[in-house]
Amino acid sequence: MKLLGLFIAALALQGCASVGVEPWQRDVLARPEMSLDASPVDAAIDDHIYFSKEASSGGRGFGGGGCGCN
Amino acid sequence: MSDDRNLTARLAAATCALLGTGAAPVMADEAGRWSFDTALLYYGENDDRVQDVSATIGAKRAFDDERLLNFTLSADTLTGASASGAIATDTPQTFTSPSGKAVYSTPAGKTPLDDTFHDTRFALNASWTQPLARLYTLSAGLGFSTEYDYTHLGANVSLARDFNKRNTTISAGLAYSQDDIDPVGGAPVPLSQMRDVGDLSNKRNSDSKDVVDVLFGVTQVLSRTTVLRVNYSYSQSSGYLNDPYKILSVVDGTTGDTILRAPAPGVAGPTGVYLYESRPDSRSKQSLYAEMKHAFGAPVLYGSYRFMTDDWGIDSHTGEVRLRWPLGSASYVEPVLRYYMQSQADFYRPSLVQGAALPAYASADFRLGEFDAVTVGAKFGHQTSAGNEWSARLEYYQQNGTISHEQLIGNQFGREQYPDLKAVIAQFGYRFGL
Repeated sequence: MKLLGLFIAALALQGCASVGVEPWQRDVLARPEMSLDASPVDAAIDDHIYFSKEASSGGRGFGGGGCGCN
Repeated sequence: MSDDRNLTARLAAATCALLGTGAAPVMADEAGRWSFDTALLYYGENDDRVQDVSATIGAKRAFDDERLLNFTLSADTLTGASASGAIATDTPQTFTSPSGKAVYSTPAGKTPLDDTFHDTRFALNASWTQPLARLYTLSAGLGFSTEYDYTHLGANVSLARDFNKRNTTISAGLAYSQDDIDPVGGAPVPLSQMRDVGDLSNKRNSDSKDVVDVLFGVTQVLSRTTVLRVNYSYSQSSGYLNDPYKILSVVDGTTGDTILRAPAPGVAGPTGVYLYESRPDSRSKQSLYAEMKHAFGAPVLYGSYRFMTDDWGIDSHTGEVRLRWPLGSASYVEPVLRYYMQSQADFYRPSLVQGAALPAYASADFRLGEFDAVTVGAKFGHQTSAGNEWSARLEYYQQNGTISHEQLIGNQFGREQYPDLKAVIAQFGYRFGL
């Protein structure tokens, strides 16, 4: 299973080399709302709510601090 | 002529990209300036359950050479009632409160809620990000949070490297946290019985847990309008993982009714037999998370999916979609839809049967049961002429639980055992720079 994961990761990285844009084609990607971290406070609040109410947490990054709520 | 126009547009876009001016000014990236992201949140559940009012301030200061300092401070005030884990019965029930100093009661037919629940939480996170070499970025952070009965201390570090004309970023991170739990009235001995008021013989002192998180991520620019991120994370918790306030009802194996008891003469106490929950002292979780943004001209579509699995037997799937739709040149509306589903923990059970051998682990905490949840809502944002942004979002969250028929006994079938949770999330935000 782990080997399969590594294989897929290696394959994906190989593929990455041919995917992407030139530096002068980043006009759309440079828009603030295109950043994957465009709303860090919203994301932290959501993580905190769902962490308190569900058995799953994290995934996006490291949790925003512990809580006695779970 | 049309070719010329096309060429001009491309040259303009290229110039913008090379000068780093983009389509809109990014205040946060201007060196030597502070920018703030603030939010006021109300979270309220139905039936006078948990109500939370919180304020969050994110502060960011950019320095020369792409160095960045980040602080997030938040304060929460929690009030309301929380499900204790005991089942509903046809008669009123009385419980000893966690402090061991008083009792609270639940009417017949109602899911028992512990209404002694209230807390204030402060959390502070700080992080520093800087380039290490031309293609490497280092980020390190510290976190602290405190509540009446809980203290968290954490540290994290991560390293990212860009490849392929910065179209690919690979990152690895490590986080460690140490949490101290000092429950009101003391931490109950797992599976010990709830005692009368004043009897703290089954309560211990404080306890603690450690959590280690490892995260590997790949961010990939797929096209001029699409970016994708995939993370794998592993989390290992060890130590005290119980919820010290959760209990299970002990029931008759035929009728499914809670076994009754009488408090000692002249003392208040529980009217039924209730045991404190018991969870394993370690838990390892793995998750795979993918998120993507795609621009269709001005609108931006965001989608994410997470699969999580742990050694408690819980598997979960989470999907979220947002569509940011511009309204005029300065405003936008962003509807959101989130769906979540989880299977139950191996040791989840709605009640324990009297006379049967006690399992090593048991919990009736709904959050470890099987349920699905939906969030629907929208955010509205508006940019002022000064470049600041205010926003408001309103969301509705609902959980629908399921208890398998094999886990219900006798009269339990006729009662509500897994009440739906409904909550409103309202948030007002303001972003500004100094």
